[in-house]
Amino acid sequence: MNDPGKCLLKRVIRRIPANMLKTTLSHWGRVSDAQLQSVDFTTSKWALTEKLLNICEENELTVKHVTELEMIHVIDYPNLGMWYAFQLFDPDDAAPSVDMTQFKEQFKFHLSKLMRNVSVKIKKHTDEAIWIRVAWGDGFSRPNHMKPTYVVHHLQSSYVFVTRLTSKLKPLLSQALVLSTRYQGIKDANLSGRNLAALRNLLMRQYQQVFSTKFSTPLAEKSENISNPQIEREQAESATKRHQMACEAFGDGVLPQLQSAVYKLETKFRDHNNKTMTDREEPFKCIVKFTSTNLLESLRHCASSGIASTPVTPLLSSVPVKGRNYFVITDNVPGSSSQTNRPQK
Amino acid sequence: MSLLKPFSKLPNINTASILLVESEEHLQQSLADVLVEESSITVNVRLAKSLPLPKENDKDRPRIDLVVFIINLSSEQSFISAEASLKYLDPGYFLGKVCFMVTSARSAAVPTERMDAVRKLAASLHSPLLFAEHQTSEGVAAAAERLLGILKVSAGVVPMTTALYLSNLTRCTLPTDIEQPSFD
Repeated sequence: MNDPGKCLLKRVIRRIPANMLKTTLSHWGRVSDAQLQSVDFTTSKWALTEKLLNICEENELTVKHVTELEMIHVIDYPNLGMWYAFQLFDPDDAAPSVDMTQFKEQFKFHLSKLMRNVSVKIKKHTDEAIWIRVAWGDGFSRPNHMKPTYVVHHLQSSYVFVTRLTSKLKPLLSQALVLSTRYQGIKDANLSGRNLAALRNLLMRQYQQVFSTKFSTPLAEKSENISNPQIEREQAESATKRHQMACEAFGDGVLPQLQSAVYKLETKFRDHNNKTMTDREEPFKCIVKFTSTNLLESLRHCASSGIASTPVTPLLSSVPVKGRNYFVITDNVPGSSSQTNRPQK
Repeated sequence: MSLLKPFSKLPNINTASILLVESEEHLQQSLADVLVEESSITVNVRLAKSLPLPKENDKDRPRIDLVVFIINLSSEQSFISAEASLKYLDPGYFLGKVCFMVTSARSAAVPTERMDAVRKLAASLHSPLLFAEHQTSEGVAAAAERLLGILKVSAGVVPMTTALYLSNLTRCTLPTDIEQPSFD
């Protein structure tokens, strides 16, 4: 095995948690059971790496095989990097009939046309997702396996999730994706987060949604059951109403984990007390960023506890509705008239 | 505008009612759970986010013997909301049937002006100012115990004393150094 392969193997072993190492290696299938038995998994990572390097030399494994191991690890732990969502639009007539083998061939073909030195690995995961690992080289150098790009796509859906992609390589990947999925174009979906499953659930609406009804919901009964007869909430009705509205805006139950929402304001400054700023012609640029370990749940709590006003402002509710967490707000967009009042949190 | 009046209803035997007003609703529920466990008298707890209280509940609301405003010092909104709610109380309540309870007072992030503002508010209304720890169950229990002491007096179940008499002893007074510049 050559040097890049050794480096990659070392790094992958370092990243895999010690208690998961054995299962991941057996899953990999490039190391025989007898060899696995001979490895003592209680020793330090460093000693383990040396031992595994020897085994790989013995089995004459190459970089290609090590990338498989890395892929298995990334599929098991997808939440280690920032994922960005992209949306494909305008499907061809042939788009619904694209199958795995066709996609695989087409993608490899198109990407290798665009770039000479590129190494592509495609794997189908159990949940029907296609995982693509692309290691990029350029015209003269071999593919760099230390900085691969990962792409996740569900066939017949219009969303693609990408991590570790540089802006220089983005057009190449976009073009290969568009051609192989038979769509007309691809655009940034303005959604990013560390949790891949959450992004997918948000875009594909796989969380518990609440729709407005005229009749009282089981929600009201739920809250009555637990209370003591001597304790009475005076504003219980408005509280349940607020809660209902918050759930309608953000959904009920466990919500997809988003880490941040960014609003880029390019609106005019409006404040009656501050004449000099209000009279200025050019927009007042600023960025409002909300961060939380689970942003949607925090926003829902803000709305249901009355910290943020209800009905929830379209600015906040459009995070789940539109499936975006990056917004640019300009003056001529309808519904953005009071943007200088930042929602407090 | 509906004022909450202290003597518009008849009291029940051996019963005291307390109204907890807190805009954040962090402490009030846990405080209420402790308060209703009192065995010597029946304690009714009403929880509100702010005043005025909804008219629909007027009929089944008992006579409120003590109104407690819970102010979280780490939030400006909490103070503003409590201040706005005060308008909806009958002046009769300020004869010993109102108290202020402050939480997060030990937090270093709290501006000292806010504490002074709360103190001035309590002093101007001749009401006691209590401090509570809302993060631990011991703190909540201690706060509930202090409230029960005041509640029993204001509900009239303690012989030989009245709310007005007690409030003369417990009301918040403004330290002289808040207003005046010190000489140094």
